[in-house]
Amino acid sequence: MTDVPTFQSGGESKCRSIKTMEVALTAPAWSLGTLAPSFRPGPDVDDVALAVGGDADAFERLYRRHVSKVNALARWLVAPADVEDAVQEVFIRVWEKLGTFAGQSAFGTWLHRVAVNVMLRRRQNLGRDRARVIDDEFALDAVAARPQQPELRMAIERAVDGLPPGAREIFVLHDMEGYKHDEIAELLGVDPGTSRSQLHRARMLLRKVLAS
Amino acid sequence: MHEEWTDLMSAAIDGELDPVTIRRLDSHLAGCAECAGVMADLQRLVATAPSYQGEAPAADLWPGIKGRIDATKVLSFGRRSPAGFGFRELLAAGIVMAAAGAVGSWYWAHREPTPVTVADRSAPGAGLELTSTAYDSALAELGRTLTARRGQLDTATVRVLERSIRTIDQAVAEARAAIQRDTANAYLNGQIAANLRQKLNLLKAATRAINSAT
Repeated sequence: MTDVPTFQSGGESKCRSIKTMEVALTAPAWSLGTLAPSFRPGPDVDDVALAVGGDADAFERLYRRHVSKVNALARWLVAPADVEDAVQEVFIRVWEKLGTFAGQSAFGTWLHRVAVNVMLRRRQNLGRDRARVIDDEFALDAVAARPQQPELRMAIERAVDGLPPGAREIFVLHDMEGYKHDEIAELLGVDPGTSRSQLHRARMLLRKVLAS
Repeated sequence: MHEEWTDLMSAAIDGELDPVTIRRLDSHLAGCAECAGVMADLQRLVATAPSYQGEAPAADLWPGIKGRIDATKVLSFGRRSPAGFGFRELLAAGIVMAAAGAVGSWYWAHREPTPVTVADRSAPGAGLELTSTAYDSALAELGRTLTARRGQLDTATVRVLERSIRTIDQAVAEARAAIQRDTANAYLNGQIAANLRQKLNLLKAATRAINSAT
């Protein structure tokens, strides 16, 4: 048994009122316990201060706390062969830019912004930018065939792997990283309307997979 | 499932629908169990997605990162100037050069006087005076820059700057003292003038680096 519900389309958790939905979105009880470490202030504050002063051990602790999410971002935003290099470059860039981190957001939030910028720039340098948004191949069938994960979060992560690249990167940037459509449009060089339609497409594809 | 309604669901979840459309959608969901189920699924998806955790890379990437960080440390003690040199590096180089100049001056000041040829006396210290004036000016400018921007620099950088200025100033004072002992030595004049020109360039570069770094 798990405290994170899986999709059961048409089941008991239907929401019939948008007002009810808004309440659910504001405080979903089943998601509060799944907040990632990067969104908690915790030890990051001390380690960032030490790392700014050149303490590589402190920076290694930051790396180990955050590398999994950065690795996931790389998996979703760059080509498979480029993932490791992209993750390394992100942390090198973060090391170089730590002095500019003003602490106005959580370190994890700032780190992810740096990561997204690094990864998208790498992709542009490799000339694979806009084609990914326009030329999507439906790739979720293979994911749908896999056994469903016990936790919704893990199931979502796996299903995102199988999204068509264009829909995937917009879902990752909007729903996982909190970017606005205008920001995504600027980052990817697409129209905000394209970002909205690709996001809805991604959500519907994921819902289909997760409900199966 | 009705596509005309499901197409509105993402916008509804993201708060991008106008009130009239929201009411219409709400009304439809109240009477359509299938669409209400889709909406609930999308809600849960959107609420859960930010909590992704990912997986660590198959291989430990830290050793490679550490190696590149260490390489960066060797090359840079601080922020880097547009030219690629950190100003602490520039000033550290200034210290080295000033120290070298001081040793040279000490050697020339304490050596046995050398017979001076007529040719050696042809341009006694003209270039040195010119360089020395420019040097004093550049040193004063660096001092003013440091005073103005002290609050924007970290304390380690300020310490390096102050130590460098003191060291360079001392080296030049010793060089001037040496030249007074042997004013007719054109070779010594030429060496000190060249040394001052080098320090002058370093001071200008350091001032530029401070300005660009702050």
